[in-house]
Amino acid sequence: MSFKRVATVASKEWREMVRDRMFVLLAFLLPVLWMLVFGYGLVLDVEEIPLVVVDRDHSSLSRDYLYRFTTSRYFDFKGSLVGEAEADGWLESGKARAVIVVPEKFEERLVAGQPVAVQTLIDGTFPLRTDITKGYVIAINGAFSADLLSDHVARMQGVSRARAEIFAHPIKLEVRYLYNEEVRSSWSTIPALVMFSLMLAPPLLTALGIVREKESGSIYNIYSSTVGKIEYLAGKLVPYVAVSFVNAVVLWLLATLWFGVPFKGNVGLFLVSALLFVLTSTGIGLLVSIMVSTQIAALIVTMVISILPTILFSGLIVPVSSLSPGAWIQAHFFPGMYFTNIVRGTFLKGVGVDVLWPDVLALALYAVVLRLVGYRLFTKRPRS
Amino acid sequence: MNGGPTSGSRRAVVWWGRLVVMTRKEMIQLFRDLPIVLFLTYSFTLAILISGNGLRSQLHNASLTVYDADHSSASRDLVHRFHQPYFRLLGELSRPDEGLRRMDRGSVMAILEIPPRFHEQLAAGEPTAVQLLVDTTNAPQGLSAAGYAGRIVAQFGQDISATRIGGSSGGAASLPIIASEHRVWYNPDQNEAWFESISGLLRTITIFAILLPATAMAREKERGTVEQLLVSPLTPLQIMLPKVLAMTLVILGATAVALFGVMQPAFGVPIRGSVILLFSLTALFTFTTAGMGLFASTITHNQAQVGLLTLLVVAPMLMLSGITTPMEALPDWVNALMLLSPLRYFIEIAYGILLKGAGLDVLWSQAIAMAALGGAMFGFGTWRFRRQFQ
Repeated sequence: MSFKRVATVASKEWREMVRDRMFVLLAFLLPVLWMLVFGYGLVLDVEEIPLVVVDRDHSSLSRDYLYRFTTSRYFDFKGSLVGEAEADGWLESGKARAVIVVPEKFEERLVAGQPVAVQTLIDGTFPLRTDITKGYVIAINGAFSADLLSDHVARMQGVSRARAEIFAHPIKLEVRYLYNEEVRSSWSTIPALVMFSLMLAPPLLTALGIVREKESGSIYNIYSSTVGKIEYLAGKLVPYVAVSFVNAVVLWLLATLWFGVPFKGNVGLFLVSALLFVLTSTGIGLLVSIMVSTQIAALIVTMVISILPTILFSGLIVPVSSLSPGAWIQAHFFPGMYFTNIVRGTFLKGVGVDVLWPDVLALALYAVVLRLVGYRLFTKRPRS
Repeated sequence: MNGGPTSGSRRAVVWWGRLVVMTRKEMIQLFRDLPIVLFLTYSFTLAILISGNGLRSQLHNASLTVYDADHSSASRDLVHRFHQPYFRLLGELSRPDEGLRRMDRGSVMAILEIPPRFHEQLAAGEPTAVQLLVDTTNAPQGLSAAGYAGRIVAQFGQDISATRIGGSSGGAASLPIIASEHRVWYNPDQNEAWFESISGLLRTITIFAILLPATAMAREKERGTVEQLLVSPLTPLQIMLPKVLAMTLVILGATAVALFGVMQPAFGVPIRGSVILLFSLTALFTFTTAGMGLFASTITHNQAQVGLLTLLVVAPMLMLSGITTPMEALPDWVNALMLLSPLRYFIEIAYGILLKGAGLDVLWSQAIAMAALGGAMFGFGTWRFRRQFQ
């Protein structure tokens, strides 16, 4: 292997890439634009769920009760309905996602010290939202019940209100949030977006760059040249790895300086693993480019094998531990998961190699194995 | 000029004939590419099966360890209330700092700490507190875990005070509390496979619909075969429309396979509304999305550029249109931006027809918005198509 030839191939590739201004522009712009759009736009705290209410009781207590919903920031109050029959249309059109129905004799029963069941109709099409809605309703009901109960105990047993509150609420749960103390959703999404961008853009750049040569036929010049297999592959990948690594650094700067996400870990560890990850994702692109012969196919194949698993299995939104066994195994075959561990670990947790070595090792393995497979499969002779 | 009705209808026949021939050409070109056919098949069958089976957006099996300094019957009782599906108990810690190390490694998501004298304080009617440490590197999941834990502890406390008050005044049935009853509509069992397999299908349709026509067009430009088409008697519309028609037909076929061959038999996904309406609006969605792709192809010069450009657009569409995260969570400017995403409307339509049994009387505004968007994209694309060669 001659480094001169590698450098020649690399500089040829670099020139070809730089000549296509729009391609270069998009290659550098894509991760940055995504980071800005998702960093500001991908908010995961579900609030302002559109809500309508049906009050069958029309008492002062039922108004007090509903007031807690209509003023809550978790619900977006859309109006009061006369009867349950109207609720149908609201839920079907999606104008409301939940309906609270206060039954008759709400006040009467509660004042008499009896329990009341309040029904909530919830749109079940999006299970996550349904679940969150349920949680908010239960929390508001719980707080209202606790107040009622304290009043009741104070009245029945003749103790002070403070004493009754302890009685009604014997245990408190003190929650301490670790790593992301203010629980900012952007702090957890932005580091993961570094993974997202580096998982999607590099394979596409690489696959397109190589298949382009195949499709236009200019690869025959390589076939007939003295450049060896390994020299060609190495030289060909250098520009794409370089562009992607620069993007990794830019994304890191955006995350820490622009978005102000704390970086508690070791910058060196982050950079080394980012390089390994970029080597892995360009390796995926290399493999795709060997499998297909047209750019359309290269696009489709890289999108299918990178975009869907990245959204679904990388821990970006759904933690890997919540996946079903089948999907859990799939997630472990997918390099994105390891890098998510590393970015979250280095950004928020501030842990080092002693904790993250399995993930770094997995990425290193990917980078090596993908290249070996690519080297084996690539032939300098055109297939028929 | 004035050929009369016969020559007018002949011209229409020729016009349509050309369209059919060109659509056939696109189909042949598409199916000749084996990797595309393979990945198309995979995406509409196996991939949907996997997303339906594997994905759970709700909190599931959050790994929890306990540091119990009390070891009483009350503390054990409380710990046992943390169970599946929300929590998975990973055993007890012997030292409190051990939990933090496990959390650093990521093998534990939450730690429950029960103080000494927990049982004693409860029995004496003194206030007491348990502590929960939550990993919030994934903020929404951490909040959700804390929420469930709060519910469990509150219920535990309520049960204790109910038995205590119950002793003096006759049972928990006579306490003024509000019981939460939920009726979940459209998907009463909260079968997540329904949601996830449908959203998987929508994602796949979007990717193929935007990508294939865009690259097919860019390929003609890159290879120069578009010059041949330009000197033929075909109008720009007759060159562009067949690419969309071919893709629409392929996607409708693939959707039928996914729906009737995978989602119904494997997950029992219901089709409560009209099948014809569903497929007509799927065709409209494909048309609109393909229009976006074609528009992208007219402002780029080769396939590599159009590939990057569509990727730039398609990722926000998939992430922000309301299947990856609910629309209610997103800021107003994202909601405004997503008015331009046909997927946003199609999500309401697909879930509306499949799960809610909604008809055009409810979904008309979404359908019109999608059609208007598609018409605009297509009109703009055809206009650009003509201009770019002048």
